[in-house]
Amino acid sequence: MPAGRRGPAAQSARQPPPLLPLLLLCVLGAPRAGSGAHTAVISPQDPTLLIGSSLLATCSVHGDPPGATAEGLYWTLNGRRLPPELSRVLNASTLALALANLNGSRQQSGDNLVCHARDGSILAGSCLYVGLPPEKPVNISCWSKNMKDLTCRWTPGAHGETFLHTNYSLKYKLRWYGQDNTCEEYHTVGPHSCHIPKDLALFTPYEIWVEATNRLGSARSDVLTLDILDVGSRLPLPSPATPGLSLLVRGKVVTTDPPPDVHVSRVGGLEDQLSVRWVSPPALKDFLFQAKYQIRYRVEDSVDWKVVDDVSNQTSCRLAGLKPGTVYFVQVRCNPFGIYGSKKAGIWSEWSHPTAASTPRSERPGPGGGACEPRGGEPSSGPVRRELKQFLGWLKKHAYCSNLSFRLYDQWRAWMQKSHKTRNQHRTRGSCPRADGARREGKASTQFVKVSTQTSAQLSSHGPDSRPPAGLQPQGRHQPPTS
Amino acid sequence: MSRREGSLEDPQADSSVSLLPHLEAKIRQTHSLAHLLTKYAEQLLQEYVQLQGDPFGLPSFSPPRLPVAGLSAPAPSHAGLPVHERLRLDAAALAALPPLLDAVCRRQAELNPRAPRLLRRLEDAARQARALGAAVEALLAALGAANRGPRAEPPAAAASAASATGVFPAKVLGLRVCGLYREWLSRTEGDLGQLLPGGSA
Repeated sequence: MPAGRRGPAAQSARQPPPLLPLLLLCVLGAPRAGSGAHTAVISPQDPTLLIGSSLLATCSVHGDPPGATAEGLYWTLNGRRLPPELSRVLNASTLALALANLNGSRQQSGDNLVCHARDGSILAGSCLYVGLPPEKPVNISCWSKNMKDLTCRWTPGAHGETFLHTNYSLKYKLRWYGQDNTCEEYHTVGPHSCHIPKDLALFTPYEIWVEATNRLGSARSDVLTLDILDVGSRLPLPSPATPGLSLLVRGKVVTTDPPPDVHVSRVGGLEDQLSVRWVSPPALKDFLFQAKYQIRYRVEDSVDWKVVDDVSNQTSCRLAGLKPGTVYFVQVRCNPFGIYGSKKAGIWSEWSHPTAASTPRSERPGPGGGACEPRGGEPSSGPVRRELKQFLGWLKKHAYCSNLSFRLYDQWRAWMQKSHKTRNQHRTRGSCPRADGARREGKASTQFVKVSTQTSAQLSSHGPDSRPPAGLQPQGRHQPPTS
Repeated sequence: MSRREGSLEDPQADSSVSLLPHLEAKIRQTHSLAHLLTKYAEQLLQEYVQLQGDPFGLPSFSPPRLPVAGLSAPAPSHAGLPVHERLRLDAAALAALPPLLDAVCRRQAELNPRAPRLLRRLEDAARQARALGAAVEALLAALGAANRGPRAEPPAAAASAASATGVFPAKVLGLRVCGLYREWLSRTEGDLGQLLPGGSA
């Protein structure tokens, strides 16, 4: 059994066990006439004791024929035989047991102290309840999502374990009048919680407290006074290290469910933006609340959230400055504030379920172009393609060329290869066509860099009305993204 | 049916031969139910002894086999009885078990209030015993072997002697009831198995 704290030896008044339904006939502990068998009675029966206290128990044997002896009797506690030196024969038919410094009970149904005959058969048993009285419950906090019901939770006393079954009862009453009420729906949000589903008064303070009771005593928490509509408080806020406790600030009561129907979508072809839309929580529509929102988002394979904090009373927002071609997870939460014109905030709701969407890719590969990033066989074109990608992105933003893409680039390369093939028909002398193609592709890439430089120069010097090489002609003025 | 002691009437002579497949299906179904409930009874027993604490869970634990009002263990002579007589005894035991299991459940709710699974198993056991008992009685009626006499009611709550028992005796008694539940379910499964084609005497 686990070691317990010392305390004065005490044996509290034991609650008598209730009567069993009248179906069971128990003979254990009662003599059976004419059976030729011995039985016994243990005293005390089912005592309750403080951790660290002592116990003196006796096992008195009865039997037929009379004259049953205590010779050879022994004790076990939770199945373990107790040392003989703890026992002594009081008289011919009684064996005593002395236990000191008792530890807390191993199971809530009580420790099993059993008196055995010499042959090991069970003569009698008694269950010991060793523990501590309950401590005062603390940290009561309550919240409501709709001002029609109330959920409260608390923490058992500072040291927690009593080793005895301890019953917790949440009580509440209107502050200046009314009778005590007892909460009935327990364990709604954890082992020490209760839900009051209805009949709550507004604009009137309630007193709420928790009573803890076990076999060794009872304790009562401090009284929490709150008004269901009390959405602001001068009490200090919890530390940032424990943001989850924002729900538990005394006096802040009102919260809400997270916003439903959060949708995240692309903003046309804008590769660095996503649009987030949601619906105001339905519970707020019955009350004169305003609401403010927070959005947080992260890249798919990251754990770092970015928070958008300044989303006021609106139900949409556009995220900008995102990475192209990237999956983002987005969540929204709500804070009801401004109840009946007040400017005080309530409790932030939970975050909505994550919604995912991806930003458009900035470039797409052509049908025969393979992967966007070249594989190991083309190391020389890797840096070139990266640079090209960056250049095309720059062009789109600053040179209003919305239709530039890798696809156009690959079309241009195919055109270049064709024209090279035509020019080199006279020079080829049986060399490997593939190798030749690779060399030509390398040349083409190099030439493209020059061409692109010229293109950029052309555009910058001649403006949007110049005519770049075929396939690179802008088809319309590209609208700069809105911030 | 085979020529066993106490065998039922030759179904070939029965004019309602077309009911036999249905009856056989019901026997199989009831046998399967008994088999399943026997497994549940094992689980109930294991959970029960665990929550009472040692020595209840120890292999060497041998408490006195306390008599339980209204129900006894299957007698050694049970196996030698005719099958319909065995099934009548099975049905009677299954009818006596629910109030006993309910009583154990109530007591355990006081002793182990934070053991919802044990309490649920005890509640389910009472319900399942009723269901299986009713199924066995229906089979007996279909076989024409139902007990036509006045049905013996389980002992009412007010009829038996009452006593305020200590916790340890209550634990032992609950163990006894759970043990009887398992024994009678196992017995019922075996007796129903003998009604199936190929079942041995």
